[in-house]
This record gives sequence, C-alpha cells and structure tokens, in this order.
Amino acid sequence: MEPMGKVLAIDHEKCTGCRLCEIVCSVFHDGVSNAARSRIKIVKWESEGVYIPISCQQCQDAPCKIICPVKAISRDEKLSRVMVDQNRCIGCRACVAVCPFGAMNFNVIDRKVFKCDLCDGDPQCVRFCEVKAVDYVPADRVSSSKKRAAAEKISTAQRQAVALEAESR
Amino acid sequence: MGSEKEGLSTAESLRKTRTYGQFRCHNPSCMGRLQPQPGVNHVKCPACGMEFRVAWIKPNFPRIRGPVWDVNQKLAEEAFERKMKEEKRDGVK
Amino acid sequence: MALNRKIAYIDLSTGKIEIKPIPLNIRRKFLGGRGLDAYLLYNHTEKGCDPLGPKNTLMVSGGILTATLASATARTHVMAKSPLGGMIGSANMGGFFAPELAWAGFHHLVIKGKADRPVYLWINNGKIEIRDARHLWGKTTTETQWAIREELGDDDIKCMVIGPAGENLVRFANVMTGIKNSGGRTGMGAVMGSKNLKAIAARGTMDIKIAHPKEALEYNKRFIDQITSAKVNQTQGTLGTPFIWGATNSWGGVRCRNFQYNQELYCDEIEPEAIDEVCTETIGPYHMAGCFACQVHCRAKYRIPTGPYAGAYDEGPEYTSQGAFCGEPDCRSMETLLTGNHLVDQWGMDNLETGSLISWAMELYELGILTDKETDGLDLRFGNDEALLEMVRRICFREGWLGDTLAEGGIIASERIGKDSFNYLIQVKGVSNLHSDERATPALALNVATASRGSDHLRSRPAIDLYHLPEEVLRKIYSTPVPYNGPLSSEHTEYIGKPWQVFWQENCYMAVDCLGICKYHTVFLGATLPNFEDWPKVLYYNTGLEFTPREIWDIAERCNMIERLFNLREGLTREDLVRGDMLNHRYFDEPTRRGAPDVVGRVIDREKFRKMIDEFYEYKGLDRNGVPKPETLKRLGLEDEPSHLL
Repeated sequence: MEPMGKVLAIDHEKCTGCRLCEIVCSVFHDGVSNAARSRIKIVKWESEGVYIPISCQQCQDAPCKIICPVKAISRDEKLSRVMVDQNRCIGCRACVAVCPFGAMNFNVIDRKVFKCDLCDGDPQCVRFCEVKAVDYVPADRVSSSKKRAAAEKISTAQRQAVALEAESR
Repeated sequence: MGSEKEGLSTAESLRKTRTYGQFRCHNPSCMGRLQPQPGVNHVKCPACGMEFRVAWIKPNFPRIRGPVWDVNQKLAEEAFERKMKEEKRDGVK
Repeated sequence: MALNRKIAYIDLSTGKIEIKPIPLNIRRKFLGGRGLDAYLLYNHTEKGCDPLGPKNTLMVSGGILTATLASATARTHVMAKSPLGGMIGSANMGGFFAPELAWAGFHHLVIKGKADRPVYLWINNGKIEIRDARHLWGKTTTETQWAIREELGDDDIKCMVIGPAGENLVRFANVMTGIKNSGGRTGMGAVMGSKNLKAIAARGTMDIKIAHPKEALEYNKRFIDQITSAKVNQTQGTLGTPFIWGATNSWGGVRCRNFQYNQELYCDEIEPEAIDEVCTETIGPYHMAGCFACQVHCRAKYRIPTGPYAGAYDEGPEYTSQGAFCGEPDCRSMETLLTGNHLVDQWGMDNLETGSLISWAMELYELGILTDKETDGLDLRFGNDEALLEMVRRICFREGWLGDTLAEGGIIASERIGKDSFNYLIQVKGVSNLHSDERATPALALNVATASRGSDHLRSRPAIDLYHLPEEVLRKIYSTPVPYNGPLSSEHTEYIGKPWQVFWQENCYMAVDCLGICKYHTVFLGATLPNFEDWPKVLYYNTGLEFTPREIWDIAERCNMIERLFNLREGLTREDLVRGDMLNHRYFDEPTRRGAPDVVGRVIDREKFRKMIDEFYEYKGLDRNGVPKPETLKRLGLEDEPSHLL
C-alpha cells in the first residue's frame, strides 16, 4: 500500500449527471435505493448542463472533526479517511454546519450524521462510474492527470506557433 | 435462481461475436465486412464499388460517416435505370 | 420496497384523491409501467370518449424496476386515448422524473376529469396536492420547471410539464422533463392541456428496499458491463442517437421531401460528427449527459452557435430531429437543426410529428394542393429553412389557417385541406411515421404498420435486421425464451421470417417498458444486449420476485394484447387506412430512387405484405381480421377484461 494512501479524485467535467453513484452508494451502505441516503451527490445546474459531484474530501484538518463536541469524528490514517462513530454521535449537526463542501449529511430517520467512508477502500461510486468522473487514486497522483491535460494544451499551442512561424517565413 | 447465477445468458454468450475495427458495406448484397486501415477517412468496397467517408469513434473503432455522394449517387441512378428496364421486360416482381 | 409503491387516482374535476396499493396478483400479470398503464386505460376509459374531454384518463407511471439497480431505470411512461388518431396514446421518456416519483412513494397515477383552472400536482413523500398553476400558464417547458422549483424551494424537484403547445391543444404536443427528455408521441401533452394540468412535480426521500443488495450490486456491474461494451452503445455514448443517421441515410432509409426520396443528398453539415463538433466547441470535450443511472450517456449538450437563438442551451438534437428538420423537409443547415430542436423542446411538441406534417404540407404546396392563400403567403417549398421554422411557430400558437389546421394532426388536417391531400400523408393510425423509409425493409414496414400506438419504430422494430447478422446468431436471439423453428433471413430486403422477428421485438419492447428501463439496454440497436433471460435476475435481486424468462414473455404478450383490445374497442380494422394495420399506398406503388444499389427500385410487395400480416396475426393469436381468438384471450387470462380490479 502507498504510504500516503488513496483519495477520491473528482473530475466534474466528465460527469454525465446520471447519478448511478448515488444509488450504488445507498444500496451498498443501507441496502436501499434512496438518493437522499447517498454520501455522494450530483449538484446540478440543469439549465446550463453543469453537473458537479460533491463528496467528502477526507480533509487533513477536518473542520467536522475539530468542531465535534463529543469527539465522535476521527481520522483513520490507514485509509486516509475521516470517520463518524455512530455510537458517540449525538446528532447536533455542528459538523454539517462547518463542512465547507456540504458533504456531511444528516439521516432524518436515525437523526445522526453520516458521510463517505470510502467503502472501506473499494468506493462503489468509483467502481460504477464508467466515465471516471470519480476516481480513486494514490494521493501523490491526484494532480498528475490535470498536469498532463494542461501540458497537452501548451504543447499543442507550441506546435501551432511553430507551424505559423514556418508559414509566415 | 441458483443455477442461473453463474451461467451466461444468450446475450452474454453473443458477446464474443462482436468484431472491432470493421464495419459492413451499406449495400445489402455485399454483406462482407470492410476493414479500413487505421486513420483513413475514405474506403471503397471492393465488391460493389460503393465509396464511404469514414470517421473514428476511437482508434480501432471506425464507422461510416456517410457516402461519397457523387460516386454512390451515380451507382444508385444506374441501378435504378437497370431495374426499371428489367421491370418493363419481366413485369413487376 | 419497489412493490409497496402505490397507485393514486386523481380526479381533477372534484379534487378527490385516492391512494391504493398495487396487489401482487396484478403485478404478476402486468408488472408495471406501460403494461399496467394499458390495463388501467382499458379499465378506466369509456369506449368512444373524446380524447380531449374530461372522460379521457391519463396514466403516468414508472416501471416495476424504476429507481432500482437495473441500469437506466429512468423511463417515465404516459398513456391515454390519443387525440391524434383516437387509438392508444402512449409516450415514454427518459430523464429523472419516474425515479423521483417512485421515491415519493408512487409508481402509477391515474388522472381523470378536468380542473376548472390551470393546476399542477405536487407529489411529496406519499402526499399529493393539487396546486394553482395560473401563473405558470404560457410558460415554456423549462421556465415552468424552474418556476416550480423556486416556488417550492427545492432544486431537487423533478417535473413533468407541458409547454404552450400542450396548452393550445396541439394534437401532437408532448410532455417533457428536464431540458429535452420528451414523451413525444401521440399527443399526451394535449391531453394534459385539456385537463388544465400544467405540470406534475415530484420529490421523494422514501427508501426503496432492495431485496438482495449485495447480489444486486454485483449483477448490476455485470449487466452494465454487457451494455457499455457493445459497440453500438459506445458509438451512442460518443455521438448520441444522431449516429444512426450515418448508416440509415447512407444506404437509403431516410425519408426525404416527405416521401419522394429515401435519402437526403449532400447533407454533410448535419451529420453526427458535425453535430459533435458543435457540442465540443460550445460545451467542451465532455459534452455527453446521461439519464438516471445510465452509463450509455447518449444525450449531447450544446449551445446554438449562430442565428436568432445564438447562445441558447439545449440538449440533443436526436436522430428524430435530424429527420424532422433536415431529411423530410430537405433542409441541410446545422442552425435550422439546432434551432428547430430548441423550439420544439421549449414549446413542448413532438419533433417527429411536427417535421413530418410540415414536410407533407410542403409537398402539397409544391403540388398546388395548398396555395399562398392557405399558407398566408409563406413560401412553403422544400428546402426553405425559414419557412420550416416559421411553420413550427404557427403550429404551436395555432396562427394562420395552416398553422391551426396542422395543429389538428394529419387526419383532421387532410379532411380540412381536402382534394387528395390524404394520399400524400405518411401515417398509420393517425400518427406520422418517423423519418425512416421502410420500402426496402419489409420487416420494418410490418413494424410501423402494426405498431399499437400508430406508426412507430419503438413498438416492434427489429432494427438489428439491418446488420446482416449470421442466421445462427439471429436464431439464438429469436428462439429465446420461446422456441422458433421457422425460417430466418439475414437479408433485410426479404419477407421470410420477419413476422416472427417483429412479434418477438414487440414482446421484448413491451417487457422493457413494463420494467421501466431504456430500449438501448435491450435488443434494439445492439444484438448482444440483455433480454428475457437476463431480466429475471435483475427482477429477483431488486424486488425478490421470481419469474422465468417465459413468464416475462407471457406478461409482455398479455400487455400487448390489452393494447390491441383497446384499439379494437375504438374501431381498429385490419386494412383501414386511418384506423388499421395498413400503410400508405406509396409504400407499394412508388419505388425508391436513392441509396445503395440494392436498395433502389424497391417497393413493398402488396401480396407478400398481406401474408406477413397474416403470419404476424397468427403468432399473436388473432384471426384474419386482427381480432383475438377466444382461446387466445383465455390463454392470456384476459377473457374477463375489463375486470375493474384496480
């Protein structure tokens, strides 16, 4: 296993907005289909065709962990994730309030909070996302695909510039 | 349900019949598959002479984008005249 | 649990709402979705009722698998007596509405009566409320949806709405959800409009228990893999449905100039790859969207790059829009295609019917049957892009004599126009054909002639017939789950074996419509996609119900038969040109002139066509007149219908 662990990498441009991730998440964790129980959610601007998957970023200095008054939230370094101890949670929703991504959810039936647990290392949203809008990558590789995409743009521009120069000669 | 769990359904067993890198000539009598060279944007059917513009879904995945209009239209007009003559001779089939 | 989703009866005249469970014995007979809708329609409408009157009943439903793990369980089905042809009206759309309806607790809505003012339904976690919609009347399909979300303060609400065309009772107005998902055919939007029902809004957070979650997840993975590995779906996922245009127009299967030609020439500008370029330029490299839980993602996103609507966001255009705004009227402009698609989406009208009828009017105009007097001076010749788009507007708002006339649909319009205009109208059961030309493909001709909702490619089309699959492959597919030992032919210009293929496809499509999944996930465009043998597994893992492939086949046959019973009750007769399983004479009399050498010079042989119908009727257990034999009704358990059990 990589020493730095793996992280969920979201490429919102690739998201087709189908929400299969929401369903497999709720089926995997709760045995039911219910988007309201999903740990991942596709936020949409339908009138523009913009779909953004939102899920827990497993923050290093997690605000939810810091604010929890009963210390129900902890970091699991083995899987690089932030976990909620359901036995300790009092359902105060302080963590919901401070999460910068809205990724902490409140279960209206159990009256407790819940969040992404990376499915213990095999995230189902990733497994089912054919277009790889959500991926699970080693932490040190999280920006490498973006770097490559940016580099490709630069190299294309460079080649075009060389071609233009040759033409104008 | 138990016994069905592991076996392949008809649909699944047909998966091996999929052919990548090829498509069929659009002329019903040809039936043969055309396999364009990687990256080309034009193909001519050796059997019937129809010509097509080729597009690529991804490398190794070609598809017919459309006909080469002038060539195929001429073939169509010739075929139409021939058939109408035959029809006059033999009666409607 | 999927099985505890309810049925709601809503009477808009009285405001009375009744909610009932769906008994298991009914489920085992009709499953859900279209099949159960057909049962409800047959039971809840009176013979001969006015399709636009309060006595018509509108069914809205999801399938038995809606919102479960069966891949693309997105489909919403809408059914009523059709204002277009007076036969069964039925439309099916993707998007996200049906899953939301299921999470809100409902699988089926039965809507009767007529509200005394515009209203919409608000369905939320088991409760249904009829709300004022006067402030929404006149709004476009998207304006309506965003306004309802704002009014109720929830961005996750999903709506099924009508646009101005539905309000104006255009007989082919559609119902819509999202940007472009349309229940397009047979005028279901006009039925909503006639009931003063502007929209149905749903939002739900109720669990649907999965019977065997672990197995459902694992099998779903396998199911999706089978679906996404198919070449046809990879092509769809890149180019959307326009990809079909490449092949069909190339070999000569696209109607052009109404029905004069079977191919549009020199139309490079509107080819699928060209559309893809516009999407890439205006949206970006990742411009494909998916319906609920679907990994095929065939829905392209675009902005119109030029013209009066430049910058407008829309989705599609689908294969049908290429035919409606390019092939049939013989226009070739990308701007016309994207703009036409946008207008019908915003106003809520069926693109197929709109394009077909305008093209018919164009032919009549060129023949002198329609003149400048009827068109109010509009130069309605083929290839006139401006006139085409202007005519779309006039139909939606019923402007001018011709706009108002075409808004009545082909049958009534032909009566008003008179002369021999009807002879040029390419329709079956009052419903215009898709822009496909079936003169070179007898199997497809049989399909459009016998489709229950009128001329239609999504009822029984054996589209894989065009792929020249080896006979043994065809036999593998078409001999399951019911053995078939008769002839089969790989040749798509042949007549033999085709009636069985059409019969098989009819049952296959009914089954997916009952399950609530998309036809791109079964044997429609791809031969290797799941069908009868695969569905018992998804059904079992998701709902716990056990079915054999044969039982699903029997259910589909039963549901198709109840659609036929409805049509017979409304006056279906075999060779009637308005209410029959019959094609326009041009199929038999005018040979095709374009396309592949083997496709030109083709007509449908009248005698062979009759024999195909005879054989098709035999498979269905109908007599020579197309009426079910008593033993058939007994075998299907329909001898006591209408039974009024639900």
